[in-house]
Amino acid sequence: MEQGTSRTLDRRASAAWLRRFARTTPGVVAVIAIIVSAICVIAGLVCGGQLDGRIAKHREVLDQSEPLAYSAQNLYAALSAADAAAASAFLSGDESGPVRVQYQRALADAAAALADVTAGATEAGTRAAAAELSAQLMAYTGLVEAARSNSRQGFPVGSAYLREASSLMQTTTLPGAEKIFTRDLAAVDEDQRAVGSLPLVGLALLAVALAAIAVGSVLVYRRTNRQFNIGLVVAAGLVVVVGIWMVVATQLAAGAIDESRTEGTAKFAQLAKARILAQQARTDETLLLITRGDITASEKSFNERIAQMNDLLNSASSEASNPVGDWTASHRKQVDVYLGGDYSAAVDQAIGGDPNASAAHFAAVESGLRGEIEDTRATLRDGVSSAGTWLTFAPTGALVLMVLAAVAAVVGLWPRLKEFL
Amino acid sequence: MRTRIGMAVLALALVAGCGTQPPPPPVTVAPVEVTPAGVKDVTAGATQGVDDCNQEASLRPGPLPAPGAMPAGSTMAAIAERGRLIVGVDQNQYLFGYRNPFTGQLEGFDIDIARQLARAIFGDPDRIQFRVVAGSEREAVLQSGDVDVVVRTYSINCERKSKVAFSTVYFYADQKILVRRDSEIRSAADLSGKRACAVSGTTSAAKLYGLDPRPTVLGAPTWTDCLVMLQQGQIDAIGTDGVVLAGLAAQDPNVVVVGPNISVEPYGVGIKQENVDLVRFVNGVLEGMRDNGTWEALYNAHLRSFGPSPGPPPARYRD
Repeated sequence: MEQGTSRTLDRRASAAWLRRFARTTPGVVAVIAIIVSAICVIAGLVCGGQLDGRIAKHREVLDQSEPLAYSAQNLYAALSAADAAAASAFLSGDESGPVRVQYQRALADAAAALADVTAGATEAGTRAAAAELSAQLMAYTGLVEAARSNSRQGFPVGSAYLREASSLMQTTTLPGAEKIFTRDLAAVDEDQRAVGSLPLVGLALLAVALAAIAVGSVLVYRRTNRQFNIGLVVAAGLVVVVGIWMVVATQLAAGAIDESRTEGTAKFAQLAKARILAQQARTDETLLLITRGDITASEKSFNERIAQMNDLLNSASSEASNPVGDWTASHRKQVDVYLGGDYSAAVDQAIGGDPNASAAHFAAVESGLRGEIEDTRATLRDGVSSAGTWLTFAPTGALVLMVLAAVAAVVGLWPRLKEFL
Repeated sequence: MRTRIGMAVLALALVAGCGTQPPPPPVTVAPVEVTPAGVKDVTAGATQGVDDCNQEASLRPGPLPAPGAMPAGSTMAAIAERGRLIVGVDQNQYLFGYRNPFTGQLEGFDIDIARQLARAIFGDPDRIQFRVVAGSEREAVLQSGDVDVVVRTYSINCERKSKVAFSTVYFYADQKILVRRDSEIRSAADLSGKRACAVSGTTSAAKLYGLDPRPTVLGAPTWTDCLVMLQQGQIDAIGTDGVVLAGLAAQDPNVVVVGPNISVEPYGVGIKQENVDLVRFVNGVLEGMRDNGTWEALYNAHLRSFGPSPGPPPARYRD
């Protein structure tokens, strides 16, 4: 009890002494030195941390979100390619031919991409979506094999199995894959924007530091009648340098990111979508020959997809739009001979080896788009990578310079304090 | 003693702490359900079936001109001038009009009837151009003149007869049902509460819907879609012409055609309504086929799997 009272009395006494000391000139100078240097160190830590966060985001884009979106694109394209190849292989009736190999290749690609997408997925929602795709892919291949075994026996029901498989792929699996791709690409975009954003909290603290230095200078001038304190001036200069460095570095990074987003991410999304549309149109055109019924619906779907694809290719100013014209011309020819009742000529026009047949034109469109997607991916990554380069030394620089500013303030004020001791 | 109790409490708290930590939820997905594209519930039908137009009666043929000598100014002469007969057909109807996957050629009873028409005009059954038409476009392609005739399991009924002309009946198709071999369904009456399939927009779909008691009727784009659903257990029965069902049954040893006839469908050759001379000509060719044994020969070539020939349907005329 007694101990407690005396401790409180002690505390009260020292607090009173401090208050008295703070009102004296050396007290004021000491308080200014402490506050200015503390704010400088805190601002340095925050600026460094914020810049470091941007560098970490840039690493995250390069190491995680971009590869994940790329895998999702591969998955989406491989699934759609598998469906196009399955229809062509069914139509050709060739068990060991090149189209069958394409189908198997596309399935393997899809399985590989599925593993990448699942491994990179941190949220349960994406993992569940990937698991659904996996289950659907198994059902799909079962239906394709049922189609094949029926067709081998000459049973027309084989074509119905293939159409059921394709319907599963087109109406359930591909939209699921598209959702994963869109989500992953949005994550890339979000991370990219985070890399190039201004570190506002850090800049605000720098402003606070400048204000503290200004107020401190005025107080010191009033108390000591010395106009400039060299230490405080140096500290202010350092704060300004750090501020400029931060703004310039993040603006340069933002420029690189902007290019990476428009020439990379946005174009990547358009080209990937165009590639899927090309494959879906290809599925329409071969499925039409497998269905052997009313072609109105599949013709409508084919034409809509080609139109959508052309729009995307134009806005992405893609070179791949050139062979699309040849392809649609060949498609027209296929439909004409089909309606004329010359089925085998229609099949030849669709999947034959002739360089003027649809198969060759589609392959040209597809490989053109694939190449451009790879190029766009490189643009995206290069932009993010150079944004990271602009920021590399900024966190350390900001911290070191702000500590120096704190030191400068203390060193500059020390002679004023010493005069009274 | 105290410390021991404390230890025990601590241990209990630790264990309890572990127990309350729930495991992260595993990913779960539902089994994949597949269904052919474009399958819809049928919710209308059974308005037809009323024969208030003497539907099977067609125009009486005159004397048949010799091949290659069509009367001047006639529709047949215009076809002869063109050099080929344009025929609307199906290529998915096993045994009637279908593409043989091994030869790539169109074959079937309907296809051969069409070839007989070409033979009667040109003296050559191969002077023919097939055009694949969907069931729903048959009237339109005749009215626009895109094809000369339609030979495509074309049931004659009064509604269609108001838009196009028909030849005499060349085949009677019995409407029956196809079920799995182990099914308890033995007739249309057993379909109560079951799921039955037919192609959307066909007279078969309408007739299934008109059954009493009414089954759940699903409309699919093609007959083979119905067979896929039957094989996958999504439906219990398929109801349509016996010939179509036999074509489906031939593709799967586990299904059978059962039951008494739900109805009888008369097949005729569809012709543009204005081409009266062509209607009479086609009826003349059909008449000849009935008399000289060609009809029997075609039946035996394509449809013997249904059992012995019932003989060609007798022609009915309204002059």
